Amino acid sequence: MTPVNNHSRPVVAIAVVAACLAFATGCGRTPPAYFRPNMVEATKQRLTPDQEKQVSTVLLAMFGTPDEPVCLPETGLDEAKLRLAAGPVRSDIVGRKNGLYREHCAHCHGVTGDALGPTAAFLNPYPRDYRPGVFKFKSTERADKPTRADLVRLLHNGVPGSSMPSFALLPPAQVDALVEYVKYLSMRGETELALMRAFFELDDDAGGKLPETREFLVDETLVPVAEKWKAAADAQIQVPPMPADIDLVASIAKGKELFHGDKANCVKCHGVTGLGDGQANDYDDWNKAIVEVRKELSSSAEQARGASTSGMSPDELAEHRAQLAWLDKFGRVLEGDALEPRTIPPRNLRHGIYRGGRRPLDLYYRIHAGINGAPMPAAKGTVPPEDIWHIVNYIRSLPYELDGELGADKPMLARDRF
Amino acid sequence: MSIATSPSTVHHESAAPAPHPAGFLSTYVFSKDHKVIGLQFLFSTLVWFLIGGLLALAVRWQIAWPWSDVPVLGKLFAQEGGQMAPEFYTMLFTMHATVMIFLVIIPILAGAFGNFLIPLMIGADDMAFPTLNMLSYWFMWPAFIAFGASFFVEGGAASSGWTSYPTLSTNVASSPGSGWGQTLWLIGLTMVGVSSMLGSVNYMTTIILMRAPGMTMFRLPMTIWAMFITAVLQAFALPVLTAAGFMQLADRTLGTGFFSPEGNIVNNWMQATGGGQPLLWQHLFWFYSHPAVYIMILPAMGMVSDILTTFARKPLFGYRPMVYSIAGIAGLGFIVWGHHMFISGMNPALGITFMVSTMMIALPSAVKTFNWLGTIWGGRIQFTTAMLFALSFVSMFIIGGLSGIFMAATPVDIFIHDTYFIVAHFHYVLFAGTAMGVFAGIYYWFPKMFGRTMNEFWGKVHFFLTFLFMNGTFFTMHILGAVGFPRRLADAYHYETFHHLQPLNAFMTWCAIGMVATQIIFAANFFWSMFFGPVAGRNPWHSNTLEWTAPSPPGHGNFDFQPVVHRGPYEYSVPGVEKDHLMQTDPPNAAAAALAAAH
Amino acid sequence: MNRLTGIFWSLLFLAVPVLGVATFAVAPALDVWLPKDVSTHGAAIDGLFYFILALTGVVFVATEVMLFWFLWKYDAAKAAGPATYIHGSHTLEVVWTIIPAATLLFLAIYQMNTWADVKMRRPSMAPSVEVVARQFEWRLRYPGRDGTLGTGDDLFLVNDLHVPVDEDFLVQLKSMDVLHSFFLPNLRIKQDAVPGMKIPVWFKAKETGQFDIVCAELCGWGHYKMKGRVTVESRENFDRWLEAQYARQEATQPEADPSTAVARTE
Repeated sequence: MTPVNNHSRPVVAIAVVAACLAFATGCGRTPPAYFRPNMVEATKQRLTPDQEKQVSTVLLAMFGTPDEPVCLPETGLDEAKLRLAAGPVRSDIVGRKNGLYREHCAHCHGVTGDALGPTAAFLNPYPRDYRPGVFKFKSTERADKPTRADLVRLLHNGVPGSSMPSFALLPPAQVDALVEYVKYLSMRGETELALMRAFFELDDDAGGKLPETREFLVDETLVPVAEKWKAAADAQIQVPPMPADIDLVASIAKGKELFHGDKANCVKCHGVTGLGDGQANDYDDWNKAIVEVRKELSSSAEQARGASTSGMSPDELAEHRAQLAWLDKFGRVLEGDALEPRTIPPRNLRHGIYRGGRRPLDLYYRIHAGINGAPMPAAKGTVPPEDIWHIVNYIRSLPYELDGELGADKPMLARDRF
Repeated sequence: MSIATSPSTVHHESAAPAPHPAGFLSTYVFSKDHKVIGLQFLFSTLVWFLIGGLLALAVRWQIAWPWSDVPVLGKLFAQEGGQMAPEFYTMLFTMHATVMIFLVIIPILAGAFGNFLIPLMIGADDMAFPTLNMLSYWFMWPAFIAFGASFFVEGGAASSGWTSYPTLSTNVASSPGSGWGQTLWLIGLTMVGVSSMLGSVNYMTTIILMRAPGMTMFRLPMTIWAMFITAVLQAFALPVLTAAGFMQLADRTLGTGFFSPEGNIVNNWMQATGGGQPLLWQHLFWFYSHPAVYIMILPAMGMVSDILTTFARKPLFGYRPMVYSIAGIAGLGFIVWGHHMFISGMNPALGITFMVSTMMIALPSAVKTFNWLGTIWGGRIQFTTAMLFALSFVSMFIIGGLSGIFMAATPVDIFIHDTYFIVAHFHYVLFAGTAMGVFAGIYYWFPKMFGRTMNEFWGKVHFFLTFLFMNGTFFTMHILGAVGFPRRLADAYHYETFHHLQPLNAFMTWCAIGMVATQIIFAANFFWSMFFGPVAGRNPWHSNTLEWTAPSPPGHGNFDFQPVVHRGPYEYSVPGVEKDHLMQTDPPNAAAAALAAAH
Repeated sequence: MNRLTGIFWSLLFLAVPVLGVATFAVAPALDVWLPKDVSTHGAAIDGLFYFILALTGVVFVATEVMLFWFLWKYDAAKAAGPATYIHGSHTLEVVWTIIPAATLLFLAIYQMNTWADVKMRRPSMAPSVEVVARQFEWRLRYPGRDGTLGTGDDLFLVNDLHVPVDEDFLVQLKSMDVLHSFFLPNLRIKQDAVPGMKIPVWFKAKETGQFDIVCAELCGWGHYKMKGRVTVESRENFDRWLEAQYARQEATQPEADPSTAVARTE
């Protein structure tokens, strides 16, 4: 019908140009993933850009990158496992997955393990920031690291009542690799903190630079971190057995007494009803750090901005300006590199959801050692071990207790929803 | 322009034929001329078509190569080396569907083609309410801004699916996109709804009251019948969606609990209000959205009927059955919404009732398909670009329609609900069906809109590549659905059942990339031809409906003189007549009439 | 427009039924097809699927080949003389309305029983397990020794559902937060979990093995992550497993060998 248009050549030209443009925008591959420096700490320590760079360089040498981890023997970590967990999601040997951490963990915990992944801000509670090396749910004494088995258990069970899922359906080899990588990120984070804090200890003749000797970097900085991890297995809480013929009813009654009593003083936070409506305006360590920094910042800011510059000497003026610049920088860092602080509510014990696990053993651990990083105190020393078992039995009865001191607002019973 | 002898019942103030000088703004921007408004809709929706297509490519990328470095968008995830976050994926498919449905398909069919064609095809000089018409376009702009801005707010754009089911959509804590993104989404939706309702009122009135003398209802071309019934659908169904949208907005901002049950704990935040039902949203939503899918195909069906007849040089087979089928589809369309909810937890007894009505709605579509086949049987087929697209509509609609029967069967739906079988079905009817119909309409009516024809060779290249890549992308989705491959999963390969399906998905993604890239040819052809294509006369396709009697493009007032209609559309190859088409406005032909009487 | 273009386009449309049928024929051989079915009602569902596939397949091939044939035969470059001037055929309209209507109605009635079996005829028994869907896991609660849900001896697990083979199994399905959907592909079971509702789901597994639980309703960013596993096993193994899990849940001492600590409590 219509003859072939002899104006078709311009159409070709436009199409080709448009196609090239289209593909050109896509043709710059994203650079590899990178570790984010701990800017809150760096700014808090008032590190100069050179000092920040030095820390990054040292960390690069000691720990490598998210794609290529480095594993010094002093850490005691297994490099093969790290390689399985590290890097972009891919399969370099048929059937073997790599990039496990980035596939399963990074979008919440962050590539750096700093809980600043894209999803983190939307979660409640926030994901764990590994960098301080503090872990809440473990079988060791309060200030000690978790054992390997603790971390494996965490991955298997997830953290009920939070967004941390159960990874029980992953093959054990992959779970192992992830546990290893979490330890790696934690050690890296702790080493970074130690390095940043070391600037404060420097002599004046160090010229603001850390010594780059193996003795300082590895023996004095890294090894103490790694040793604590290795010592975890020996720091397990010794749990006395619960008597096999225990009278459960009597135990629960005794536990209730202790719960409301002065020694354990559980009701202070968990409330007389067990609903977690006692004192509830405290923070966990990770959020507390930010809250305190903010408080400090706002008072410094008030001071600095209120100071009149008229009577200042040139030196004082320079200092004053530096202070203002530092305050601004910190403000921006808090904006981009820290999550909005949230209080930590004491556990509502009527729900029957226990983040660290619901075995009587798990509850024993929580009460004995408290929860590291959280306001839950250790009962060790104040409450004798058999009494801890009584409290455990009482707590396990709480979701099912019909009468008791619930007051006017009876919660919906756990049997109907959990 | 109307001559005083016109019996049409609506007069316009601008009955004077003298052209009035007007500035750029009132001619091209704030115009009340239905043709300009139609083109405004056309350009806006084509831009959003591109955006929706790019969103689809991002979705396909993640499905094919999960957690890999995404081109272009990877820059947003620099720290992770370009790997997208899972909530980003949920946003991508939500906005892909939202953009395609509300900002592309619905406005392009009713707003672009409906606006441009209705007065021209019925012989009127403009719509019944030109100002209302202009407003219906301008109400799209707050929607464009709301949806567009939602990508940039905290938490990103809406991410609870285009279906926006509570409590995922109502609860801010349940998903990052359920914050500002979802609120803007609801606002945008309301604006689109208002635009559509204004348009539908206009179309119904125009078609009923402003037809040229002699243009009885049963002499209307199928395009107009389809537009008319679509307008009726819009008028009856949209208010329900708008009301539901307000209810959800109230749940999200005013603390009401229409859709929130008591004791809801989302993301460890306890919800304050309750007493509502998530299922209520589903009923209200689908009460509109099922008729909406017919709104999204009926106009294309009408246009395809017109195009097939023109290029087969034959009357439409079964004109009245075709009209009744469209009405049947529309009517039945109101009583099938529950088939989206077979698995939802609603009373299973309703599964039986909705299943019967859903099975029956396949019937009028089947009748239409047979009639299209009957139309080309015995024809003299000209393989123009428009014809190729129209033929592919028929071919692909057969696939889309037949796949619907699987999901109408409730026991089978237990397995294929929310799998790629459903995705295959609706992409076949919406893209392989309606979008092909839209391309057909553009190639066909381009000369009337711009006074020049598009390049036929490149049109056919566009058709061929689109046809191939489209089937490559969507046909195997039926198979994926048979495996049970679920929708909306950012990464399905860690399930035993699905871990071997990555290569197939990679193939489909390559086809999708090819398909989107092919549209560059269309865009180039479209814009080049608009300025430099060969000049078209009034009737380049030798078609017989009224719009082809007007100049190309028509001036203000459309026709040189009042059209008077003497016959139905589709009078092609009339025996005893020299030329192979009798225009609707041609004077009565005695020889032809005698032969017709003998039939 | 010459004859060659007409042939080319007709053949393109012929490719539709040819490649369409070929795809469906080849897919099962490549293991891209319905997953293995281990439920007692699955055969009815799959049978219905195949019946509809055959029916629609026949219609598909017939109509698409007809389309191809008309394009081939009625190409303007080939056929001589004018087109056939015909407005329709009343007989044909009646035929192709009645036959599809009857077929569709038959299909509708034919499948009602299967639907009722799977969704309406609940076995009268206490729930075997309560499944509470949550962002982003399946929380399971077995009733424990006393057979009643909601008492202190309940067994709590996550994502790891065990089912005794050849026995009726009743799930009480709930959701804690948003909509989810309990999809067991190999058992041909799917049911949305609606917050605020308690929905019964029942089936009888007829073969042992381990199969996926998939979430089939968008529930947020972790929708893809809601992987569960259903293990169908003999009654003895099931009871033994239940006891072992219960013992682990009630543990008052750490596991003897922590390297095998794969306990799933909660």
